[in-house]
Amino acid sequence: MEPASGSPYWSCLSAARGLKGRLSRDAMLAAVYARSIQLRETVKSMLIRSVISGALAGLVSIAAASAQDTRNLLESKESLYNNIYVYEQAPYRSMTFGHNRRIYTESVYNTRDELDLPVDYTRFMTASVMYAKDVRSILEIGFGGGRTAWYLHRFLPKVQVTSVELDPTVLELAKKYFGIKEEPNFHVVNRDGRLYVQESKERYDIILIDAYRGPFVPFHLLTKEFYQLIKDHLAEGGVVAQNVEPSTMLFDAAVKTIHSVFPQVDFYEAGGNIVMVAYPGDERKPEDLAAIAQERDNEFGFRYKLADMLAQRKRVDIDNGQVIDAKAKVLTDDFAPVEALKSIERHNRKLP
Amino acid sequence: MSEPVSRAGLLAIYICSFLVGCVLMGFEMLGSRYLNPYFGSGIGAWASLISTVLCALAIGYFAGSAIVDRQPTTRTIGTMILIAAAYMALVPATADTVMADILDTIGDGPSATLMAATALLLVPLTLLGTFSPIAVSLLTRSAGEAGRVAGLVYGVSTIGNVVGTLVTTFALIPTIGSRAITYYFAVILAGCAAILFIPFGKKTS
Repeated sequence: MEPASGSPYWSCLSAARGLKGRLSRDAMLAAVYARSIQLRETVKSMLIRSVISGALAGLVSIAAASAQDTRNLLESKESLYNNIYVYEQAPYRSMTFGHNRRIYTESVYNTRDELDLPVDYTRFMTASVMYAKDVRSILEIGFGGGRTAWYLHRFLPKVQVTSVELDPTVLELAKKYFGIKEEPNFHVVNRDGRLYVQESKERYDIILIDAYRGPFVPFHLLTKEFYQLIKDHLAEGGVVAQNVEPSTMLFDAAVKTIHSVFPQVDFYEAGGNIVMVAYPGDERKPEDLAAIAQERDNEFGFRYKLADMLAQRKRVDIDNGQVIDAKAKVLTDDFAPVEALKSIERHNRKLP
Repeated sequence: MSEPVSRAGLLAIYICSFLVGCVLMGFEMLGSRYLNPYFGSGIGAWASLISTVLCALAIGYFAGSAIVDRQPTTRTIGTMILIAAAYMALVPATADTVMADILDTIGDGPSATLMAATALLLVPLTLLGTFSPIAVSLLTRSAGEAGRVAGLVYGVSTIGNVVGTLVTTFALIPTIGSRAITYYFAVILAGCAAILFIPFGKKTS
Protein backbone atom coordinates (compact mmCIF):
# COMPACT_ATOMS: atom_id res chain seq x y z
CA MET A 1 0.00 0.00 0.00
CA GLU A 2 2.72 2.39 0.96
CA PRO A 3 5.92 2.85 -0.95
CA ALA A 4 8.88 1.20 0.76
CA SER A 5 10.15 3.66 3.30
CA GLY A 6 13.67 3.48 1.84
CA SER A 7 12.66 4.64 -1.61
CA PRO A 8 13.99 8.04 -2.71
CA TYR A 9 10.50 9.26 -3.33
CA TRP A 10 9.45 8.41 0.16
CA SER A 11 12.40 10.10 1.77
CA CYS A 12 11.85 13.21 -0.27
CA LEU A 13 8.19 13.14 0.58
CA SER A 14 9.11 12.83 4.23
CA ALA A 15 11.50 15.73 3.92
CA ALA A 16 8.82 17.80 2.29
CA ARG A 17 6.36 16.73 4.90
CA GLY A 18 8.72 17.71 7.65
CA LEU A 19 8.64 21.18 6.23
CA LYS A 20 4.97 21.06 5.67
CA GLY A 21 3.01 23.74 7.34
CA ARG A 22 0.40 26.01 6.07
CA LEU A 23 0.58 29.39 4.49
CA SER A 24 -1.87 32.18 4.85
CA ARG A 25 -3.05 33.69 1.67
CA ASP A 26 -2.18 37.07 3.18
CA ALA A 27 1.48 36.18 3.16
CA MET A 28 1.38 34.86 -0.36
CA LEU A 29 -0.43 37.96 -1.44
CA ALA A 30 2.08 40.08 0.28
CA ALA A 31 4.67 38.75 -2.12
CA VAL A 32 2.50 39.43 -5.15
CA TYR A 33 1.58 42.78 -3.74
CA ALA A 34 5.25 43.56 -3.20
CA ARG A 35 6.10 42.80 -6.77
CA SER A 36 3.38 44.89 -8.29
CA ILE A 37 3.04 47.98 -6.16
CA GLN A 38 6.51 48.86 -5.09
CA LEU A 39 5.75 52.51 -4.57
CA ARG A 40 3.68 51.82 -1.53
CA GLU A 41 5.11 51.98 1.95
CA THR A 42 3.33 48.81 2.97
CA VAL A 43 5.49 46.95 0.59
CA LYS A 44 8.64 47.88 2.39
CA SER A 45 7.62 45.92 5.44
CA MET A 46 6.62 42.98 3.35
CA LEU A 47 9.87 43.06 1.42
CA ILE A 48 12.02 43.26 4.50
CA ARG A 49 10.12 40.39 5.98
CA SER A 50 10.36 38.22 2.92
CA VAL A 51 14.05 38.97 2.40
CA ILE A 52 14.89 37.96 5.95
CA SER A 53 12.74 34.87 6.06
CA GLY A 54 13.75 34.02 2.50
CA ALA A 55 17.41 34.03 3.50
CA LEU A 56 16.74 31.81 6.50
CA ALA A 57 14.56 29.47 4.48
CA GLY A 58 17.24 29.29 1.80
CA LEU A 59 19.74 27.91 4.30
CA VAL A 60 17.35 25.31 5.61
CA SER A 61 15.98 24.10 2.33
CA ILE A 62 19.11 23.38 0.29
CA ALA A 63 18.93 19.71 1.19
CA ALA A 64 15.24 19.48 0.40
CA ALA A 65 15.73 21.30 -2.89
CA SER A 66 18.38 18.89 -4.10
CA ALA A 67 16.11 15.98 -3.25
CA GLN A 68 13.31 17.54 -5.27
CA ASP A 69 15.50 17.71 -8.35
CA THR A 70 14.96 13.99 -8.90
CA ARG A 71 11.28 14.68 -9.45
CA ASN A 72 9.89 15.45 -12.82
CA LEU A 73 8.07 18.79 -12.94
CA LEU A 74 4.83 18.27 -14.87
CA GLU A 75 3.52 21.80 -14.60
CA SER A 76 3.99 24.92 -12.58
CA LYS A 77 1.43 27.65 -12.39
CA GLU A 78 1.15 30.93 -10.59
CA SER A 79 -2.41 31.36 -9.42
CA LEU A 80 -4.16 34.18 -7.61
CA TYR A 81 -3.18 32.60 -4.32
CA ASN A 82 -0.26 30.24 -4.78
CA ASN A 83 2.74 29.20 -6.82
CA ILE A 84 1.72 25.67 -7.65
CA TYR A 85 4.10 22.93 -8.81
CA VAL A 86 2.95 19.48 -9.86
CA TYR A 87 5.75 16.90 -9.71
CA GLU A 88 5.81 13.32 -10.81
CA GLN A 89 7.90 10.42 -9.64
CA ALA A 90 6.08 7.35 -10.86
CA PRO A 91 3.70 6.24 -9.69
CA TYR A 92 3.22 9.30 -7.51
CA ARG A 93 2.20 12.80 -8.41
CA SER A 94 2.41 15.56 -5.85
CA MET A 95 0.90 19.00 -5.76
CA THR A 96 3.15 21.43 -3.96
CA PHE A 97 3.06 25.11 -3.17
CA GLY A 98 6.24 27.12 -3.23
CA HIS A 99 6.83 29.72 -0.60
CA ASN A 100 10.09 31.36 0.37
CA ARG A 101 12.02 28.89 -1.77
CA ARG A 102 10.56 26.00 0.14
CA ILE A 103 8.18 23.51 -1.34
CA TYR A 104 5.19 22.44 0.71
CA THR A 105 3.54 19.20 -0.32
CA GLU A 106 -0.21 19.65 -0.32
CA SER A 107 -1.36 16.44 -1.87
CA VAL A 108 0.05 13.15 -3.17
CA TYR A 109 -1.74 11.00 -5.75
CA ASN A 110 -0.87 7.46 -6.70
CA THR A 111 -1.56 7.27 -10.44
CA ARG A 112 -1.82 3.48 -10.28
CA ASP A 113 -4.18 3.41 -7.32
CA GLU A 114 -6.65 6.21 -6.86
CA LEU A 115 -7.70 4.96 -3.43
CA ASP A 116 -4.20 5.12 -1.98
CA LEU A 117 -3.75 7.84 0.63
CA PRO A 118 0.05 8.16 0.86
CA VAL A 119 -0.02 11.15 3.20
CA ASP A 120 -0.67 9.88 6.74
CA TYR A 121 -2.96 12.57 8.03
CA THR A 122 -5.39 12.27 5.10
CA ARG A 123 -6.18 8.73 6.27
CA PHE A 124 -6.89 9.91 9.76
CA MET A 125 -9.25 12.58 8.45
CA THR A 126 -11.52 9.65 7.52
CA ALA A 127 -11.61 8.53 11.17
CA SER A 128 -14.41 11.09 11.49
CA VAL A 129 -16.68 8.55 9.75
CA MET A 130 -16.92 6.42 12.92
CA TYR A 131 -18.06 9.40 15.01
CA ALA A 132 -20.93 10.69 12.92
CA LYS A 133 -24.39 9.50 13.92
CA ASP A 134 -25.44 9.28 10.29
CA VAL A 135 -23.32 9.51 7.17
CA ARG A 136 -25.41 11.25 4.55
CA SER A 137 -23.39 14.33 3.69
CA ILE A 138 -19.76 15.38 4.00
CA LEU A 139 -18.31 18.85 3.53
CA GLU A 140 -14.59 19.38 3.06
CA ILE A 141 -12.97 22.81 3.30
CA GLY A 142 -9.69 22.83 1.37
CA PHE A 143 -9.75 20.45 -1.59
CA GLY A 144 -6.13 20.57 -2.74
CA GLY A 145 -5.46 17.46 -4.82
CA GLY A 146 -8.72 16.08 -3.48
CA ARG A 147 -7.44 12.75 -2.21
CA THR A 148 -9.46 12.56 1.01
CA ALA A 149 -12.70 13.68 -0.64
CA TRP A 150 -12.23 11.29 -3.56
CA TYR A 151 -11.42 8.37 -1.23
CA LEU A 152 -14.57 9.02 0.79
CA HIS A 153 -16.65 9.44 -2.37
CA ARG A 154 -15.45 6.13 -3.78
CA PHE A 155 -16.15 4.18 -0.59
CA LEU A 156 -19.36 6.07 0.16
CA PRO A 157 -20.88 6.57 -3.31
CA LYS A 158 -24.33 7.30 -1.90
CA VAL A 159 -23.09 10.05 0.38
CA GLN A 160 -23.13 13.67 -0.80
CA VAL A 161 -19.50 14.79 -0.78
CA THR A 162 -18.93 18.51 -1.30
CA SER A 163 -15.50 20.08 -1.22
CA VAL A 164 -14.73 23.79 -1.23
CA GLU A 165 -11.49 25.13 -2.66
CA LEU A 166 -10.46 28.76 -2.80
CA ASP A 167 -7.96 28.52 -5.62
CA PRO A 168 -9.45 27.85 -9.08
CA THR A 169 -6.04 26.87 -10.43
CA VAL A 170 -5.72 24.17 -7.78
CA LEU A 171 -9.04 22.75 -9.00
CA GLU A 172 -7.91 22.93 -12.60
CA LEU A 173 -4.67 21.06 -11.84
CA ALA A 174 -6.47 18.51 -9.64
CA LYS A 175 -8.76 17.69 -12.57
CA LYS A 176 -5.85 17.58 -14.99
CA TYR A 177 -3.37 15.49 -13.01
CA PHE A 178 -5.11 13.95 -10.00
CA GLY A 179 -7.91 11.98 -11.62
CA ILE A 180 -10.65 14.18 -10.22
CA LYS A 181 -13.92 14.52 -12.10
CA GLU A 182 -17.43 15.69 -11.33
CA GLU A 183 -19.67 12.73 -10.57
CA PRO A 184 -23.10 12.30 -9.03
CA ASN A 185 -22.78 12.95 -5.28
CA PHE A 186 -19.32 14.47 -5.71
CA HIS A 187 -19.11 18.23 -6.03
CA VAL A 188 -16.25 20.65 -5.91
CA VAL A 189 -16.99 24.32 -5.36
CA ASN A 190 -14.61 27.19 -6.02
CA ARG A 191 -15.16 29.47 -3.04
CA ASP A 192 -13.65 30.77 0.17
CA GLY A 193 -14.43 28.10 2.79
CA ARG A 194 -15.86 30.43 5.38
CA LEU A 195 -18.02 32.27 2.88
CA TYR A 196 -19.36 28.99 1.57
CA VAL A 197 -20.38 27.81 5.01
CA GLN A 198 -21.79 31.21 5.91
CA GLU A 199 -24.10 31.15 2.91
CA SER A 200 -24.94 27.46 3.00
CA LYS A 201 -28.34 26.51 4.31
CA GLU A 202 -27.37 22.85 4.57
CA ARG A 203 -26.23 20.80 7.50
CA TYR A 204 -23.56 18.17 7.23
CA ASP A 205 -22.82 14.98 9.14
CA ILE A 206 -19.08 15.39 8.74
CA ILE A 207 -17.10 18.58 8.11
CA LEU A 208 -13.41 18.16 7.25
CA ILE A 209 -11.16 21.22 7.59
CA ASP A 210 -7.84 21.18 5.79
CA ALA A 211 -7.73 24.61 4.21
CA TYR A 212 -4.29 25.84 5.18
CA ARG A 213 -1.54 26.46 2.73
CA GLY A 214 2.20 26.23 3.23
CA PRO A 215 3.52 27.29 6.61
CA PHE A 216 0.76 29.64 7.80
CA VAL A 217 -2.96 29.66 8.45
CA PRO A 218 -5.54 32.06 7.07
CA PHE A 219 -6.81 33.46 10.35
CA HIS A 220 -10.47 33.62 9.41
CA LEU A 221 -10.53 29.81 9.20
CA LEU A 222 -9.15 29.37 12.70
CA THR A 223 -11.25 31.55 14.97
CA LYS A 224 -13.98 30.88 17.49
CA GLU A 225 -16.51 32.59 15.20
CA PHE A 226 -15.52 30.27 12.36
CA TYR A 227 -15.93 27.13 14.47
CA GLN A 228 -19.27 28.42 15.74
CA LEU A 229 -20.35 28.75 12.12
CA ILE A 230 -19.15 25.20 11.49
CA LYS A 231 -21.05 23.94 14.53
CA ASP A 232 -24.23 25.64 13.30
CA HIS A 233 -23.89 23.68 10.06
CA LEU A 234 -23.49 20.26 11.66
CA ALA A 235 -26.41 17.87 11.49
CA GLU A 236 -27.47 16.21 14.72
CA GLY A 237 -24.69 13.85 15.79
CA GLY A 238 -22.32 15.58 13.37
CA VAL A 239 -18.56 15.82 13.76
CA VAL A 240 -15.63 17.98 12.64
CA ALA A 241 -12.15 16.77 11.71
CA GLN A 242 -9.31 19.21 11.39
CA ASN A 243 -5.69 18.76 10.38
CA VAL A 244 -3.17 20.76 12.42
CA GLU A 245 0.58 21.00 12.32
CA PRO A 246 1.71 20.68 15.95
CA SER A 247 5.22 22.11 16.13
CA THR A 248 4.39 25.71 17.04
CA MET A 249 2.30 27.61 19.57
CA LEU A 250 -0.37 27.98 16.92
CA PHE A 251 -1.29 24.38 17.69
CA ASP A 252 -2.06 25.20 21.33
CA ALA A 253 -4.17 28.18 20.32
CA ALA A 254 -5.99 26.11 17.68
CA VAL A 255 -6.79 23.37 20.19
CA LYS A 256 -8.09 25.88 22.72
CA THR A 257 -10.15 27.62 20.07
CA ILE A 258 -11.82 24.49 18.74
CA HIS A 259 -12.36 23.34 22.33
CA SER A 260 -14.09 26.62 23.15
CA VAL A 261 -16.84 25.64 20.71
CA PHE A 262 -16.75 21.85 20.87
CA PRO A 263 -16.55 20.30 24.35
CA GLN A 264 -15.08 17.06 23.02
CA VAL A 265 -11.82 16.81 21.09
CA ASP A 266 -10.13 13.50 20.21
CA PHE A 267 -6.58 13.50 18.84
CA TYR A 268 -4.92 11.32 16.23
CA GLU A 269 -1.19 11.61 15.66
CA ALA A 270 -0.52 11.17 11.96
CA GLY A 271 3.02 11.33 10.62
CA GLY A 272 4.01 14.72 11.96
CA ASN A 273 0.54 16.22 11.74
CA ILE A 274 -2.31 15.87 14.18
CA VAL A 275 -5.91 15.29 13.26
CA MET A 276 -8.42 16.63 15.78
CA VAL A 277 -11.91 15.17 15.78
CA ALA A 278 -14.26 17.52 17.59
CA TYR A 279 -17.93 17.10 18.48
CA PRO A 280 -20.59 18.50 20.77
CA GLY A 281 -22.12 16.65 23.70
CA ASP A 282 -20.54 13.98 25.89
CA GLU A 283 -17.36 12.05 25.30
CA ARG A 284 -17.90 9.06 23.04
CA LYS A 285 -17.09 5.78 24.76
CA PRO A 286 -14.33 3.75 23.09
CA GLU A 287 -16.49 0.63 23.01
CA ASP A 288 -19.31 2.47 21.24
CA LEU A 289 -16.89 3.88 18.70
CA ALA A 290 -15.36 0.43 18.21
CA ALA A 291 -18.80 -1.03 17.51
CA ILE A 292 -19.60 1.66 14.92
CA ALA A 293 -16.12 1.36 13.40
CA GLN A 294 -16.58 -2.39 13.02
CA GLU A 295 -20.01 -1.97 11.54
CA ARG A 296 -19.00 0.73 9.05
CA ASP A 297 -15.77 -1.04 8.09
CA ASN A 298 -17.89 -4.04 7.17
CA GLU A 299 -20.61 -2.06 5.47
CA PHE A 300 -18.38 0.15 3.32
CA GLY A 301 -15.19 -1.91 3.07
CA PHE A 302 -12.83 0.96 3.82
CA ARG A 303 -9.24 0.30 2.86
CA TYR A 304 -7.94 2.12 5.92
CA LYS A 305 -9.91 0.46 8.69
CA LEU A 306 -11.69 2.73 11.11
CA ALA A 307 -11.05 0.11 13.80
CA ASP A 308 -7.28 0.39 13.27
CA MET A 309 -7.42 4.16 13.47
CA LEU A 310 -9.44 4.01 16.65
CA ALA A 311 -6.47 2.31 18.33
CA GLN A 312 -4.53 5.57 17.80
CA ARG A 313 -7.16 7.75 19.47
CA LYS A 314 -5.86 9.97 22.26
CA ARG A 315 -7.62 12.16 24.76
CA VAL A 316 -5.95 15.13 26.37
CA ASP A 317 -6.96 17.25 29.33
CA ILE A 318 -6.89 20.51 27.43
CA ASP A 319 -7.37 22.76 30.45
CA ASN A 320 -4.75 21.40 32.87
CA GLY A 321 -1.90 23.18 31.11
CA GLN A 322 0.32 20.09 30.86
CA VAL A 323 0.01 19.34 27.19
CA ILE A 324 -1.66 22.47 25.89
CA ASP A 325 -0.02 25.67 27.08
CA ALA A 326 -2.18 27.27 29.77
CA LYS A 327 -1.34 30.71 28.37
CA ALA A 328 -2.53 29.87 24.86
CA LYS A 329 -5.48 32.09 23.97
CA VAL A 330 -8.68 31.35 22.13
CA LEU A 331 -8.44 32.96 18.69
CA THR A 332 -11.25 35.27 17.63
CA ASP A 333 -12.00 37.38 14.57
CA ASP A 334 -10.79 40.30 16.66
CA PHE A 335 -7.63 38.69 17.98
CA ALA A 336 -5.90 36.05 15.89
CA PRO A 337 -2.14 36.63 15.61
CA VAL A 338 -1.61 33.46 13.59
CA GLU A 339 1.68 34.51 11.99
CA ALA A 340 3.18 35.48 15.34
CA LEU A 341 2.06 32.25 17.01
CA LYS A 342 3.38 30.24 14.11
CA SER A 343 6.84 31.68 14.70
CA ILE A 344 7.03 30.45 18.31
CA GLU A 345 8.36 26.93 18.59
CA ARG A 346 6.30 24.79 20.82
CA HIS A 347 7.97 23.24 23.84
CA ASN A 348 8.46 19.58 23.29
CA ARG A 349 5.28 18.46 24.99
CA LYS A 350 4.02 15.29 23.39
CA LEU A 351 0.56 13.94 23.43
CA PRO A 352 0.49 11.21 26.10
CA MET B 1 0.68 82.21 1.32
CA SER B 2 -1.50 81.62 4.28
CA GLU B 3 -1.59 82.86 7.83
CA PRO B 4 1.91 82.47 9.28
CA VAL B 5 2.50 79.92 12.01
CA SER B 6 4.77 80.15 15.03
CA ARG B 7 7.78 77.88 15.66
CA ALA B 8 5.74 75.71 18.06
CA GLY B 9 3.05 75.55 15.41
CA LEU B 10 5.56 74.26 12.85
CA LEU B 11 6.67 71.52 15.20
CA ALA B 12 3.05 70.59 15.96
CA ILE B 13 2.28 70.27 12.26
CA TYR B 14 5.26 67.98 11.64
CA ILE B 15 4.41 65.81 14.65
CA CYS B 16 0.81 65.52 13.49
CA SER B 17 2.01 64.78 9.98
CA PHE B 18 3.96 61.81 11.34
CA LEU B 19 1.12 60.54 13.55
CA VAL B 20 -1.51 60.93 10.83
CA GLY B 21 0.81 58.99 8.50
CA CYS B 22 1.09 56.21 11.11
CA VAL B 23 -2.65 55.91 11.57
CA LEU B 24 -3.36 56.08 7.85
CA MET B 25 -1.36 52.99 6.90
CA GLY B 26 -2.03 51.28 10.22
CA PHE B 27 -5.73 51.52 9.48
CA GLU B 28 -5.23 50.09 6.01
CA MET B 29 -3.54 47.04 7.54
CA LEU B 30 -6.37 46.76 10.07
CA GLY B 31 -8.84 46.99 7.22
CA SER B 32 -7.73 43.53 6.12
CA ARG B 33 -8.67 42.12 9.52
CA TYR B 34 -12.15 43.61 9.27
CA LEU B 35 -12.66 42.43 5.70
CA ASN B 36 -11.16 38.93 5.78
CA PRO B 37 -13.82 37.13 7.82
CA TYR B 38 -16.47 38.25 5.34
CA PHE B 39 -14.71 38.53 2.00
CA GLY B 40 -11.78 36.14 2.36
CA SER B 41 -8.14 37.09 2.45
CA GLY B 42 -7.55 36.80 -1.26
CA ILE B 43 -5.78 39.21 -3.56
CA GLY B 44 -9.18 40.75 -4.29
CA ALA B 45 -9.51 41.93 -0.70
CA TRP B 46 -6.07 43.55 -0.87
CA ALA B 47 -6.75 45.14 -4.25
CA SER B 48 -9.94 46.65 -2.83
CA LEU B 49 -8.18 47.96 0.25
CA ILE B 50 -5.28 49.47 -1.65
CA SER B 51 -7.38 51.08 -4.34
CA THR B 52 -9.78 52.47 -1.75
CA VAL B 53 -6.91 53.98 0.24
CA LEU B 54 -5.40 55.53 -2.87
CA CYS B 55 -8.79 56.84 -3.95
CA ALA B 56 -9.31 58.35 -0.53
CA LEU B 57 -5.89 59.99 -0.68
CA ALA B 58 -6.55 61.37 -4.17
CA ILE B 59 -9.86 62.87 -3.07
CA GLY B 60 -8.23 64.14 0.11
CA TYR B 61 -5.40 65.81 -1.83
CA PHE B 62 -7.85 67.53 -4.20
CA ALA B 63 -10.06 68.61 -1.31
CA GLY B 64 -6.97 69.80 0.58
CA SER B 65 -5.83 71.91 -2.34
CA ALA B 66 -9.32 73.43 -2.61
CA ILE B 67 -9.24 74.25 1.11
CA VAL B 68 -5.82 75.88 0.71
CA ASP B 69 -7.48 78.42 -1.57
CA ARG B 70 -10.06 79.27 1.08
CA GLN B 71 -9.29 78.74 4.74
CA PRO B 72 -6.02 76.98 5.42
CA THR B 73 -5.61 77.10 9.22
CA THR B 74 -4.44 74.57 11.76
CA ARG B 75 -8.03 74.56 13.05
CA THR B 76 -9.26 73.40 9.64
CA ILE B 77 -6.98 70.37 9.58
CA GLY B 78 -7.71 69.80 13.27
CA THR B 79 -11.41 69.60 12.43
CA MET B 80 -10.80 67.17 9.56
CA ILE B 81 -8.75 64.92 11.83
CA LEU B 82 -11.33 65.08 14.60
CA ILE B 83 -14.11 63.94 12.26
CA ALA B 84 -11.86 61.10 11.05
CA ALA B 85 -11.25 60.14 14.70
CA ALA B 86 -14.99 60.09 15.39
CA TYR B 87 -15.60 57.92 12.33
CA MET B 88 -12.90 55.46 13.40
CA ALA B 89 -14.30 55.32 16.91
CA LEU B 90 -17.58 54.09 15.42
CA VAL B 91 -15.98 51.38 13.31
CA PRO B 92 -15.44 48.62 15.92
CA ALA B 93 -19.06 48.61 17.04
CA THR B 94 -20.59 48.80 13.57
CA ALA B 95 -18.18 47.03 11.22
CA ASP B 96 -19.63 43.54 11.66
CA THR B 97 -23.17 44.68 10.90
CA VAL B 98 -22.06 46.62 7.84
CA MET B 99 -19.87 43.79 6.48
CA ALA B 100 -22.62 41.21 7.04
CA ASP B 101 -25.19 43.45 5.33
CA ILE B 102 -22.96 43.92 2.31
CA LEU B 103 -22.31 40.19 2.14
CA ASP B 104 -26.04 39.45 2.35
CA THR B 105 -27.14 42.01 -0.21
CA ILE B 106 -24.32 42.10 -2.79
CA GLY B 107 -22.44 38.86 -2.15
CA ASP B 108 -18.68 38.66 -2.14
CA GLY B 109 -17.59 39.68 -5.63
CA PRO B 110 -15.25 42.57 -6.44
CA SER B 111 -18.04 45.14 -6.10
CA ALA B 112 -18.98 43.90 -2.63
CA THR B 113 -15.37 43.83 -1.45
CA LEU B 114 -14.82 47.31 -2.86
CA MET B 115 -17.95 48.57 -1.17
CA ALA B 116 -16.87 47.08 2.15
CA ALA B 117 -13.43 48.68 1.86
CA THR B 118 -15.11 51.94 0.92
CA ALA B 119 -17.45 51.86 3.91
CA LEU B 120 -14.53 51.17 6.19
CA LEU B 121 -11.79 53.42 4.82
CA LEU B 122 -12.98 56.08 2.42
CA VAL B 123 -14.34 58.69 4.79
CA PRO B 124 -11.60 58.77 7.45
CA LEU B 125 -8.73 58.45 4.99
CA THR B 126 -10.10 61.14 2.69
CA LEU B 127 -10.22 63.47 5.68
CA LEU B 128 -6.68 62.52 6.64
CA GLY B 129 -5.62 63.03 3.03
CA THR B 130 -6.44 66.74 3.24
CA PHE B 131 -3.70 67.11 5.85
CA SER B 132 -0.59 67.26 3.69
CA PRO B 133 -1.59 69.96 1.17
CA ILE B 134 -2.90 72.22 3.93
CA ALA B 135 0.19 71.55 6.06
CA VAL B 136 2.45 72.48 3.14
CA SER B 137 0.55 75.69 2.65
CA LEU B 138 0.75 76.58 6.36
CA LEU B 139 4.47 75.83 6.54
CA THR B 140 5.41 77.70 3.40
CA ARG B 141 6.44 81.32 3.90
CA SER B 142 7.70 82.11 0.43
CA ALA B 143 7.17 80.62 -2.99
CA GLY B 144 10.86 79.78 -3.13
CA GLU B 145 10.67 77.29 -0.28
CA ALA B 146 7.47 75.53 -1.41
CA GLY B 147 9.39 72.58 -2.85
CA ARG B 148 11.55 72.15 0.24
CA VAL B 149 8.54 72.25 2.57
CA ALA B 150 6.52 69.85 0.44
CA GLY B 151 9.45 67.42 0.47
CA LEU B 152 9.74 67.63 4.26
CA VAL B 153 6.03 67.16 4.89
CA TYR B 154 5.73 64.18 2.56
CA GLY B 155 8.95 62.67 3.92
CA VAL B 156 7.78 62.91 7.52
CA SER B 157 4.35 61.60 6.69
CA THR B 158 5.78 58.71 4.68
CA ILE B 159 8.05 57.73 7.57
CA GLY B 160 4.84 57.74 9.60
CA ASN B 161 3.28 55.41 6.99
CA VAL B 162 6.19 52.99 7.34
CA VAL B 163 6.10 53.03 11.13
CA GLY B 164 2.31 52.65 11.16
CA THR B 165 2.43 49.67 8.81
CA LEU B 166 5.19 47.85 10.67
CA VAL B 167 4.03 48.57 14.21
CA THR B 168 0.41 47.69 13.44
CA THR B 169 1.29 44.47 11.64
CA PHE B 170 4.09 43.11 13.78
CA ALA B 171 3.45 44.60 17.21
CA LEU B 172 -0.20 45.59 17.66
CA ILE B 173 -2.14 42.89 15.79
CA PRO B 174 -0.25 40.09 17.61
CA THR B 175 -0.79 41.63 21.05
CA ILE B 176 -4.12 43.47 21.22
CA GLY B 177 -7.26 42.93 19.17
CA SER B 178 -8.18 44.79 15.99
CA ARG B 179 -11.03 46.61 17.71
CA ALA B 180 -8.78 47.88 20.49
CA ILE B 181 -6.22 49.07 17.94
CA THR B 182 -8.94 50.98 16.12
CA TYR B 183 -9.89 52.77 19.35
CA TYR B 184 -6.24 53.64 19.98
CA PHE B 185 -6.00 55.09 16.49
CA ALA B 186 -9.09 57.21 17.14
CA VAL B 187 -7.50 58.46 20.37
CA ILE B 188 -4.23 59.30 18.59
CA LEU B 189 -6.13 61.27 15.96
CA ALA B 190 -8.17 63.08 18.59
CA GLY B 191 -4.86 63.97 20.27
CA CYS B 192 -3.54 65.38 16.99
CA ALA B 193 -6.71 67.42 16.57
CA ALA B 194 -6.32 68.76 20.11
CA ILE B 195 -2.74 69.85 19.36
CA LEU B 196 -3.88 71.58 16.18
CA PHE B 197 -6.64 73.43 18.03
CA ILE B 198 -4.06 75.15 20.25
CA PRO B 199 -3.99 78.75 19.01
CA PHE B 200 -0.43 79.11 17.78
CA GLY B 201 0.31 82.82 17.79
CA LYS B 202 1.54 84.76 14.83
CA LYS B 203 5.08 84.09 13.94
CA THR B 204 7.40 86.51 15.73
CA SER B 205 10.39 86.44 13.43
